[in-house]
Amino acid sequence: MSEAPALATRGLVAGYERDLPIVRGIDLTIGKGELVAILGPNGAGKSTYVKAIAGTVPCFGGAIMLDGKDITAMPLHQRISAGLAFVPQTENIFASLSIGENLQLAADVLPKALRAARLEKMWAMFPDLASRPALRAGQLSGGQRQMLAVARALIVEPQVLILDEPSAGLSPKIVSSVFAMLQSINRSGVTILLVEQNVKAALAIADRGVILVEGQLRHEGNAAQLATDPLLAELYLGAQPEKASA
Amino acid sequence: MIAQMLMDGLIAGSMIGLGAIGITLTYSILRFANFAHGELVSWAAYFALSVSTALGTALPGLSASLGPFSFGWSLPLGLIAAMALTGLLALFADTLLFARLRARGASTIILVMAGFGAALTLRSLLEFIFTSKPMYFTSALQIARPLFAGARATPDQLLGLGLAVALVAAVHLILTRTAAGRAMRAVSENQALAGLAGIDVAKTIRLVWLFGASLAAVAGVMAGLLVQIRPYMGHDLLLPLFAAAILGGIGSVPGAMIAGLIVGLAEAACVNFIGAEWRAAVSFFILVAILLLRPQGLFGKAGA
Amino acid sequence: MIELISYGAFFLTLALTYAIMCLGLNVQWGQTGLFNVGVAGFVGIGAYVSALLTTPDAPDRFGGFDLPIAVGWIAAAIAAALASALLGAMTLRLRSDYLAIATFGFAVVVQLAVLNLQKLTGGPFGISFIPRPFGALASDPLVFGLCNLAVVGAVTLAVYGALEHLMRSPWGRVLRAIREDEQAASALGKNATVFRLQAFAVGGAIMGLAGAVQGHFIGYISPEGYVPILTFQVWAMLIVGGSGNNRGAIAGAILVWAIWAASGAALAAFIPADQQARASALKIVMIGVAICLVLLLRPRGLLGERATVSRHVENAGDHAKDKAS
Repeated sequence: MSEAPALATRGLVAGYERDLPIVRGIDLTIGKGELVAILGPNGAGKSTYVKAIAGTVPCFGGAIMLDGKDITAMPLHQRISAGLAFVPQTENIFASLSIGENLQLAADVLPKALRAARLEKMWAMFPDLASRPALRAGQLSGGQRQMLAVARALIVEPQVLILDEPSAGLSPKIVSSVFAMLQSINRSGVTILLVEQNVKAALAIADRGVILVEGQLRHEGNAAQLATDPLLAELYLGAQPEKASA
Repeated sequence: MIAQMLMDGLIAGSMIGLGAIGITLTYSILRFANFAHGELVSWAAYFALSVSTALGTALPGLSASLGPFSFGWSLPLGLIAAMALTGLLALFADTLLFARLRARGASTIILVMAGFGAALTLRSLLEFIFTSKPMYFTSALQIARPLFAGARATPDQLLGLGLAVALVAAVHLILTRTAAGRAMRAVSENQALAGLAGIDVAKTIRLVWLFGASLAAVAGVMAGLLVQIRPYMGHDLLLPLFAAAILGGIGSVPGAMIAGLIVGLAEAACVNFIGAEWRAAVSFFILVAILLLRPQGLFGKAGA
Repeated sequence: MIELISYGAFFLTLALTYAIMCLGLNVQWGQTGLFNVGVAGFVGIGAYVSALLTTPDAPDRFGGFDLPIAVGWIAAAIAAALASALLGAMTLRLRSDYLAIATFGFAVVVQLAVLNLQKLTGGPFGISFIPRPFGALASDPLVFGLCNLAVVGAVTLAVYGALEHLMRSPWGRVLRAIREDEQAASALGKNATVFRLQAFAVGGAIMGLAGAVQGHFIGYISPEGYVPILTFQVWAMLIVGGSGNNRGAIAGAILVWAIWAASGAALAAFIPADQQARASALKIVMIGVAICLVLLLRPRGLLGERATVSRHVENAGDHAKDKAS
């Protein structure tokens, strides 16, 4: 079992309408402990791809394997207990609930004996949140929301953590602290799959980069090499110049 | 006179509040105004009536009046059975109708219409089975006892009032302090995210139906005990229930109860100052006022 | 034979008054997706306004203004349109189901008002001696019946023609786009609410007109004529006919009214008197089940929307999606 990759998709086809799939047959294998960045121009299907893996977008073909187990047909909530956690780009916290309740409800899926310890662990990891557990999550700033969303995802100690553009809408300073946090989470053994528009920051912490174009895998490679790859420049500078600075 | 008006208003209001809690919960989590909620109230009353009559016939001792109340053990037992049966009825309606529409991604208004169709079916089915003749849990007459400042109430009425207050507190605690309650609130805010947080959304929705239906059952048995049992009892309560749920702010349990009391008091004031024949219009004017002045309700969040 | 024809004319005239209500509901629900649970209230307003204006002076209540029938009908449509516009203005910018709740309450209030405002409405006794078109011919039932059929038929046709024209206009296309596609609706923003409000008022006006036409045909109105069962009947008619389809709305009204009348007659003939209330409850169970079944199995109704209309709708929807993505 330990030979199985942390996460793999085989010929994955997904989207909102069956006859108009957005993800059109993606094969990707992610090893245990890897940090992989998914890159590509706007509309390439990056978000749809990770949403399909998380289960919020329907799959029309292919397979998703988590630690060698087929989870393609698994309902959303069961993927969590299978070891997969997903942080959506927007609306990734429960704004009407308190910070404490946001974490508590994520911990509720764990066996009773584990809950208190896991909560403590998260409070220790995110002291900023721990100082005001009764505050409504809706009142948090963008960066704090992202922290809470990550904490909510981590509380079940997933094998694989997927994030959809965690840097969107954050100031550069907060982006760097979010990325530093992701790096340290990754170093603690969690496999991370990251969708990013912020190419430089993502490749700086990633082991490997994957480039999607029009719903298909166009190129993948070592993060450091990819950062200087002319293809990236062509995709971002050529087609989508405004994204190059992002 | 005024004291009696307040007493009557509080008693009627506690019934409305109980029903409105059920509406506000299902409304905020299932996201549509369920016109069949009134019929859950009516069916519950008839369930309780059937069970308590059967129990009373089988074991006559169960019909012997309990203390100062007009009913025996058969009624509380009937209520428990009615809560379970009404819950099953709600789940049945969900499986047969609402769940299928939800799975198809039907819009809110299609669900509202389905509730309207279900309401017609359920209500007329009651009329078919039991006819429209009013029925009663007990034939015992209760004497209203003097309380304060000339206000009088029967022990049954006071029990209903107490039960309503206790249930609001219980529901509020369940929603804020238990895993099931957190799950319901999470599903109410964002279904997809709730699923991503590991919550079984389908199970939570079933739980909400059971919960809402049980509360409807208590309201129905109370209304049946304090007023009478008719196939249209729930239909006639529906407007006050919606008015209270919206006035309290959709999703707010304490809000629904307080608003229920306000609606009850307003109705009592109308009966006292304007005339009993206009009572049924009170809820509509409260509804109009709240939609014009504060559509999110007294305790609701803006934009909800 | 003559009796049969005059009964046929009577039946068809009454059925057509329901067809007009159904056309009004079709503008609201079929074309615009606005759920009105208070049809009886709008029909009732129209009937009472027209009766009040056109009846001869009555000593025991306010009015009786003895105005021409046509004035009564126009006023009925205007009054019902105003009531719809007020309700719509209050609720349409809020959640989509608040309109349903408000119309439900509105019908309750109208019912109470006509019952309790005895000085204005005659209370439970209703209003009689409502002038009937061609009243002078009443001594000859056949001619009278056919003349009335012609008038009501003409009104139905006029409403139908006007609606068909409206639906093919840009206004009608916008309405359907709003109904079919939330994104298209939100792209229109505030305008979407204005369009919905207009459609709701137009539908209300037609219902009010239908109420007036019906009141003048029967010559007598009372609060029992405007109880919730009327709302359910009109809904059953629209659903059988297929929402979005004006011809279907008319056909549905005639068909459902025929079934309703025939089953009523059959009940009276075959079911013992003490069981008739029960049996008619079963009729309503059937309407309820039919509504649910149609929603589950044939969301477009039994006859359905015409293909041309659907194509517009799909195109509008696609455009909206393209813009959104």
